[in-house]
Formats: sequence, C-alpha cells, structure tokens
Amino acid sequence: MRVSPLREIMLRNGAKFVERYGVETPSLFSDTATEYGYVRDTVGISDFSYMQKFSVPEESGVDFLDGLFAGNVARVRFGRILHTFLADDEGYLLADCYIANNDEEFIVLCESIVDDSELNAVLNRRGAKEAGLENLCDSHVVLGVDGYKAWAVVKEIFGSDVLGLPYLSIEVYPFEGGEVRLVRAGKTSEFGYLILAPVSLGGKLFDTLLKTARKYEGGLCGSDIHNDLRLEGRFFNIFAEGARVRDPLPLGLQWMIDFDKESFSGSGPIKERRERGVEKKVIGIQAEGDAEDLKPGSSVFDDSAQIATVEATCFSRALSSRIGLALFPASVAYSGLDFQLGEKGGCKIKTISMPPIMPKSLTVKLDEI
Amino acid sequence: MNPQMQAVIDNRVAIINSFKEELIKRLNLPYKPEDLHEDISLLGAGLGLDSLDALEIVLCVENCFGVKIPDENTNVLRSINTIVDYVIEQRAKEGSAQ
Repeated sequence: MRVSPLREIMLRNGAKFVERYGVETPSLFSDTATEYGYVRDTVGISDFSYMQKFSVPEESGVDFLDGLFAGNVARVRFGRILHTFLADDEGYLLADCYIANNDEEFIVLCESIVDDSELNAVLNRRGAKEAGLENLCDSHVVLGVDGYKAWAVVKEIFGSDVLGLPYLSIEVYPFEGGEVRLVRAGKTSEFGYLILAPVSLGGKLFDTLLKTARKYEGGLCGSDIHNDLRLEGRFFNIFAEGARVRDPLPLGLQWMIDFDKESFSGSGPIKERRERGVEKKVIGIQAEGDAEDLKPGSSVFDDSAQIATVEATCFSRALSSRIGLALFPASVAYSGLDFQLGEKGGCKIKTISMPPIMPKSLTVKLDEI
Repeated sequence: MNPQMQAVIDNRVAIINSFKEELIKRLNLPYKPEDLHEDISLLGAGLGLDSLDALEIVLCVENCFGVKIPDENTNVLRSINTIVDYVIEQRAKEGSAQ
C-alpha cells in the first residue's frame, strides 16, 4: 500500500485513514459537518498525495499522452489543463485525470480505480518509458485548497497574481527556496487549487497552508467529505459512481472525449457504444425523510417494477436530505419524476436536476477583488 | 408507465431537444445532442464555456422559448437541466397569469 509522504504529519493532526485501490488517504480529521463547513463557508486543506502523479517532456510526451487519454492533449495550450479520463482497451474507466501543459513538460494527475502497479503497467504497455514518463508519486506531494475562501489563502501565500489564474490552469510559483506547481482545479464546486510540491517542501507547505487557512477559520478535510461535496456539486467521482458504472457514456462523460481523434485507449468500443446509443443514464435523485436505506446498490422501483440502481449517495447539508445518483433506462432518465426505494411502501424518491446547489463561490468574481 | 409520468417526460424532452440543437449550432460544439448529459456543467467545469458563451446561452433560451433570463440569475445557467427547469417554471407562471 502506498502512503502519503505527509502521513506522519496527517496522523499528528488527527487523521483517520482509508485505503482506496492500494493507496492510503486521510478520510477524516474532525467530523463531516465541520469539514463540510470548511469548504462551503471558508477553506479546507486536504492531502491529495494519493493521486498518481507523473511528468513527461512535452516534445516526447504529447503523442504518447494523446494516444492514451480520451481528450485532445495536443490542443492543450501552454498553462492550461485538460480534464479527461484513461480507459482500458474495452473502453471502461481506469482513471480520472488532469493533464497540464506546463511549458516544456506535461504534468499528469490521476485518480485511479486500479492500483499503482496496474496503472503503471497500462502506461508502460503504451510507451511510457520511451516517452520519458517520470513517476512523481514518491518524490512529490499534492495538497488541496478548496473552499469559498480558497483564493484568499493562495493569494496570501503566492501573491495576488494568482487571482488571474483561470479554472483549469497551471503556474509555477516560488516557495521557500524551491518551486511548486499550482493548479487551479477542484471538484467541490467552490474555488479549488491543487499544489504539486517536492517532498522536501511538503511539510513546510502544509504548515503554511494550514496556518493561513486557520486565519479564515478553515481547517483540514478528508476524503469522506470530498465524496459528499462532489456529489452535491455534481462533479464526477471515479471513486463512487465511476467505480460502479465504469462506462463513461451512461456517466455523461462525453465532454471529456474528443470523438474526432483517430484513437485513444478504449476508443473503438467507446465509439461503437456511442453509435449504438446509450441505453442507460446516471441522473440525480433525492429521497424523502431519513432514507437510511438509500445507499449504493439499492433498487429504485416504479410501483412494483425495479427500474434503477443507486450508484452513489450522500447526505446533502445544503438540502438537508439524502441525495444520490442512480442508473436509469435512458427513456425515463429525466428529472421531475416520482419513484420509491424498494417495492411499494418504500421511501419516496424524486429524480432531480443537478447540481442541486448554488455554491457560494459562484457569487464571487475574482477579477473584481 | 403512467400517462402522467409520460406527459412530464414528453414536455421535458421537447424543451431539452430544442435547446440542445440550438446550443450546438450557436456554439459550434463538437457533439451530438445525445452526447450532452443534461446535468453537465455548462460554465467553468464540464463543457467549460466562458462568459461570452453564457451570453449566447441566454440568447438561445430567449430565441427558443421566449423566456428571458435576468442578468443576475447566473444560478439558472448551471446545467441544461437547471435551464430547462427555469423555462418550465416561467411557462407555468405565464400560463397561470393568463
């Protein structure tokens, strides 16, 4: 099992851990209500070092990456990031990835539902060594800064020009005699940044981020609350619905794909399934009452006929109810319909439009600060 | 499926299909209508449309459905589904006003 280079620091700060696909990550520091409040109202600091991290020279890497990932890597401009996925040869998801064009290198950050050795094997089979792909998992940490006040924390540490970074962009900043790569990206629907730093700077970076976050009444967040935040904001979560459904088309991930590309890993089966038409779609649901039985694997019924399977759930604090994603036949995959959980008499389920919340961050215009 | 549920679906599908076709044409999106999941984020994440595109979306809604989205109502533009909800809501208000 791979552990974070910052594990001891996280442990000292009260982290509980969970293993996901051979990698350990801090899942909780305090409680989910507090950690939710950090992101939605102030700022949460997280250890995202569980991500698989790579760098590859731009010249040798562009064709390698473009032949692998579903999106168009060749069109990613300097300083910008592509959010796409890696699929297996059958066109089923392996990893959710950011690919950043950082001048003479590409930085690849992945959330994977296969362990490191399997992911590395896929990359090596496709020419990683020849392309000069360097694995940064042991040499680098990734720290996340997410929340309504995330911009204030990074501005204080890296300077006000960080406010000009558009969503899905990367920039290098000096820090404590070295350099870190700051990525503006996140999956909570609030402001978000990922900071890729060498291990030698990791401890100091963490201390600085946490100290600054606390000035804004922020704190530490684990992966548990990130799962809830992603669902509430309707950001794709490969660890939840992604791992259960695996097919990018019913998951609605067509926006991550360049269908005009000649090929990428899994492109043949994906394009065939697209031509045949998507038979099922993942859509949002909201339950009445406590709905303790609403969990992944639960069945949604239309009277006495099972019609859908629940793929992800969370308690939405913004809505004060349990919400989820369920896989419905495409013919009825629309919001505004009523079903129930289990056969007749089960709690009522309504299909809903997503995202169901309006994040505070959308009310802030960084260019006017 | 009961007729009431089918009516809700039919009403929604009609709006979704008109909007998607117009959106793809106006913004020259490299997708078929069925590629655009109704929950996909339109601005920033997801389709990654910018503020100029947002203006096009507002004009698209006005042209397709005769419904104006006020400038301050960026909440509506979160996804295709939230836009469709707004159109249905405004039509219902107009219907009850008449």
